[in-house]
Amino acid sequence: MTHSNIDRRTALRLGLGASAAGLFVATGGLALADAISSAKIDGSPEMAKGVQKSGKLRIGFSNGFSGNTWRTECLTSMQSEAKANADKYDLIVVDGQGDISKQVNDIEDLISQNVDALLCIPNSSTAVVPALRKATRAGIPTIPFNLPVEGENWTAFIGTDPKRKGATTGKALNGFLGGKGKIVALGGLPGNSYTADCWAGAQTQFGPGIEVLAFKDASWQEDKAKVVMADLIAAYPEIDGIWCDGGQDAAGALKALIAANRPLVPATGDDYNGLFKLYDAEKEKNPKFKIGCVSEPSWEGVVALRTAVKLLSGQDVPKRQIIDPILIDGSNYQQFMKKDLPDGVFVDTLLTDEELKKLFS
Amino acid sequence: MLGQRASTLLRRSPVWVAVVLLYVVAAIVSPAMLKPAQMLNILQVTAFLGLVATGQTLALLTGGIDLSVAGVVTMTNIIATSVMLGQDSRILPAVLCCLVAGAVVGIVNGILIAVLRVAPIIATLAMNSILFGAALVFTGGAPHGAAAGAFNVIGQGSAFGLPASAICWIVITLGVAFAMRRTTFGRWVYAVGANETAARLMGVPTRSVLVAAYALSATLAVLGGLLITAYVGNPSLGIGNQFLLTSVVAVVVGGTALTGGIGSVTATIAGALFVTELTSFTNVAQVSTGAQYVIQGVLIALSVVAYRMIGSRGTA
Repeated sequence: MTHSNIDRRTALRLGLGASAAGLFVATGGLALADAISSAKIDGSPEMAKGVQKSGKLRIGFSNGFSGNTWRTECLTSMQSEAKANADKYDLIVVDGQGDISKQVNDIEDLISQNVDALLCIPNSSTAVVPALRKATRAGIPTIPFNLPVEGENWTAFIGTDPKRKGATTGKALNGFLGGKGKIVALGGLPGNSYTADCWAGAQTQFGPGIEVLAFKDASWQEDKAKVVMADLIAAYPEIDGIWCDGGQDAAGALKALIAANRPLVPATGDDYNGLFKLYDAEKEKNPKFKIGCVSEPSWEGVVALRTAVKLLSGQDVPKRQIIDPILIDGSNYQQFMKKDLPDGVFVDTLLTDEELKKLFS
Repeated sequence: MLGQRASTLLRRSPVWVAVVLLYVVAAIVSPAMLKPAQMLNILQVTAFLGLVATGQTLALLTGGIDLSVAGVVTMTNIIATSVMLGQDSRILPAVLCCLVAGAVVGIVNGILIAVLRVAPIIATLAMNSILFGAALVFTGGAPHGAAAGAFNVIGQGSAFGLPASAICWIVITLGVAFAMRRTTFGRWVYAVGANETAARLMGVPTRSVLVAAYALSATLAVLGGLLITAYVGNPSLGIGNQFLLTSVVAVVVGGTALTGGIGSVTATIAGALFVTELTSFTNVAQVSTGAQYVIQGVLIALSVVAYRMIGSRGTA
């Protein structure tokens, strides 16, 4: 299978010059170009057919739930994208409140409102299938993003590949440890498939010298990770590395090491600001401390919106657009870290510092 | 002789026997549990649950239940960090805000239950939902702020070789235990829980007692929330969820009856220790999260059955 590389914002980047990344003072437009242009998105050779629609468009978005930081950043950046394109389309957002059946009703409501395109982050990869099929039959292009939907009864998907993300962080951790050492792994909510896929990807990259002492659920919460890690520290006199799929897990676990007066060790995570701030503060004191992170970009929703607009202008788009995992480590974390913003910010975002400050206040 | 003494101990405070037994088993399976550092770690972490469970004990003693403690812990974490903003000078106002908010929540719970006669499980579950929703609205899903460095000492520091959080927990809980044993209010709580109508006929101001009990429960949940906030230093919208079930488990394992009127605050100390010990042991022994939940559920059921058996033997 060949993957054609689609550089999202080639035109903008050419206009701005390639050296701009992370240097200029960010205004809305520039920051927008910056974050997406530095990413690579793999488009599948299989294409989804566009449908030409005219007049002012209405795009529906069924958000599975709202309220965590990532979703808030995602939704806010989608709303500012919609605001910037208010002449072209309206964005109608409905919130499933974490309820599988409410989301199905939400999608059916959007269908009966006859929206021109339907975006969704599913609460369940299977439960939304019939509703999306119904939309397709009604001639509405459907674009699930962030979390996958079973089967093929949708128009286009935008997201990351957890296995590849896990492989990227796993490879980094293996490298930090020179392929030899004892590690613990901390995941998210018990039983979630994202963590399982990330972890499966990570394990493919560990050399034979890597010994996994324990894998525990830490719910992507600093407090839980810290409590679990404190127990693991008692159980294992030697822990050389920490693999996590979330930055909160890593920050909590590292804080447990600090509390136990142990030197910090290499850790992996995502684009949680708290982990970068911790690394920045502690790296001098802890020569073995390294980080290897891969983000879940909160601008996925914006790509989904742009994909919808493309489809509705009659253009074909790839059936699957998978964002390439980019490693954030000691060499480039400063481009992402936001020192003056709270730990909770996910920093791979299109939102400007000003917008983030407003959001986090 | 020895057997008799052991059986007296088992009857009087079976949960302490269970705490010791579990520790022995845990230490055999995983000698790491015997390290002083691990014992101190367990004490430090138990403090959060311990304080919340002490409050929960009061609610259960009145014959009710307080399921809003989870929301109160989350609310405390969010208010404390957003008022403190990481500055030492703002610790006092932050703590006061949390205590006032907690008292208001508890009093509203109490009025719903005592005056408007809403079933405690419904009133407090509704309150829990309101508090979680309010935290979401207030933060917009993006909590900001942080605990102050000086404040974090109570969650992370130590004094006299013991974790500061554990000292706070034990001192406060013993104070509550004393109040329950030696004051009129304490006896009233037991009386209301045993038989509210009889208590009212004897002149106990049952409504005020219920309101006070729920206010205390919420206040103790605030104190538990402040400790865990000091332990982690950051806001987190999911921080309180873990206490919804575990606070009830700790109290029930401690021998307090869900029917009210029977139990003690000191036994809840052991109940909280037992629950934390168990989690810690299952972490160290590499038991999966699913199995942890199963074990926890089995233990709730088992402990209720065990107390019934011990209780009936004691009276026979």
